[in-house]
Amino acid sequence: MDARQGADAMARDTMVELHGVRKTFGTNEVLHGIDLTVSRGEHVVLFGPSGSGKSTVLRSINLLEVPTSGSVKFKGVEYGPGIEGTPKPQRGSALDLRRSIGMVFQQFNLFPHLTALHNIVLPLRSVRKLSRKDAEEKAAESLRDVGLLKWAGSFPAQMSGGQQQRVAIARALSLDPEVMLFDEPTSALDPELVGEVLAVMRRLAVGGMTMVVVTHELGFAREVGDHNVFMEEGLVVETGGKSFFDECSHPRTRAFMGSVL
Amino acid sequence: MFASPDPSIYGVGAVKSLSVSAVTYDWGLVWENRDLFWWGTVLALQVSIVALILSLSFGLVLALGRMGRKPVTFFAAAYINIFRGIPALVSVIWVYFGWSLLTGYNFTPFQAGVIALTLLYSAFFAEIFRSALMALPPGQSEAGLALGMSRPKVFFFIKLPQATKIALPNIGNMYIGMVKDTSVFTVIGLVEIVRVTQNINSITFQPFVLFTTAAIIYVFLAFGLDFIFRTLEKVLSTPTKGLIALTITSRRTARINSLIHSKEVALPVSSEKN
Repeated sequence: MDARQGADAMARDTMVELHGVRKTFGTNEVLHGIDLTVSRGEHVVLFGPSGSGKSTVLRSINLLEVPTSGSVKFKGVEYGPGIEGTPKPQRGSALDLRRSIGMVFQQFNLFPHLTALHNIVLPLRSVRKLSRKDAEEKAAESLRDVGLLKWAGSFPAQMSGGQQQRVAIARALSLDPEVMLFDEPTSALDPELVGEVLAVMRRLAVGGMTMVVVTHELGFAREVGDHNVFMEEGLVVETGGKSFFDECSHPRTRAFMGSVL
Repeated sequence: MFASPDPSIYGVGAVKSLSVSAVTYDWGLVWENRDLFWWGTVLALQVSIVALILSLSFGLVLALGRMGRKPVTFFAAAYINIFRGIPALVSVIWVYFGWSLLTGYNFTPFQAGVIALTLLYSAFFAEIFRSALMALPPGQSEAGLALGMSRPKVFFFIKLPQATKIALPNIGNMYIGMVKDTSVFTVIGLVEIVRVTQNINSITFQPFVLFTTAAIIYVFLAFGLDFIFRTLEKVLSTPTKGLIALTITSRRTARINSLIHSKEVALPVSSEKN
């Protein structure tokens, strides 16, 4: 693993680089120093039991959680507070970082006061400064890409969970992010609605989008995960490539897989 | 057995029967003075609307202060707790007579009324906004931030519209209270509904007729305002409910429908496939 993340990774196009990330809530340290590298076009899957810190790692990448210490780099620019004991780095602004990274949440987090279309129009206008007409055109196209153009005028409350999550994905994608973060995107869905969301994600993966996914859908992880990371209690236990799910050796990883699959 | 006793046993029978027989109810007075009542009503609404706008703005600032950091939240809490407890009558006399002594500036009754109401009701609105803002799930701001929106934009385009919708029934309630509270401004000579009523009464001495009219005006105002706020609630409800609300939002609906149509035409086959 170290070899792959070393010289080889430098040759690849490194997008996200976490190094020594620690996070404390009150007196409780939930991340004990996480290292993670995501290259362009790579699909990283984070999994593990609840409370293991995988969502916190994901939310550190776009600084929704600011690490207590550690380095968060995106395309070589430091956005984190820096590693303890080293001089404070020059930091980029969280706003700039987030404009290059899309995120999809477990609870969809669509804006309930806006139609599906205007959920997408709002960030296009306020972040990308598009005109109303251009933003509406682009938003409609984003909805069409996830098969929901007909629902443009509907409010989130009128849509199923699967449809809401597809709108949320379309909303994030409409801003042309370079990396997409997925925080348990199917965990709040009825089992029969999981498929439509995974289909959109699968298509995105095939299209070469750089993705970091926290999920319990190990079938999906096995299918698209280039780099699989098993976490427990704020630490990375074991990582592996495509064949990770067949070859993992750590007893905790195997026990977890046994209980989930 | 309940027949009137012989008036003579009271010894004041003559006076009493005179006063009873003298009461005639001259309802024609209301129509004769209709323009006075009308302008009194208009003035009451003007004062309360200006005060509503000011106290909503100031109340929102107070709510943010109340939810903010330490010294600020303390001052906001102190303001809210003090001004929630002051009656409108005390407030307006304090502003109209007290402030003019203090500053040397004489407020008009209109200005004094607006200031008095704003001082009191911004404290109530602060608490209404605070509870509405706190009712929003944190995921809403997180989604906005994750999309790269700045904190002010997240507040104005995501949190405030949703909080307003939650707060609207309470705001409507408070506004009806504000309109009624304009009645105390009669003491500073603001020619609102009660002052008009008193002026006519002092000439005609028809308190029952005139104050019944005043009461009916207030009740009608309350009904009308309730209707307006209910309509607003329907406009903001998602999905939109009610005929008036649907009419108001019909342009948005038409715009989206034509957009759907144009994009469907551009790519008719794959629109429903993943």
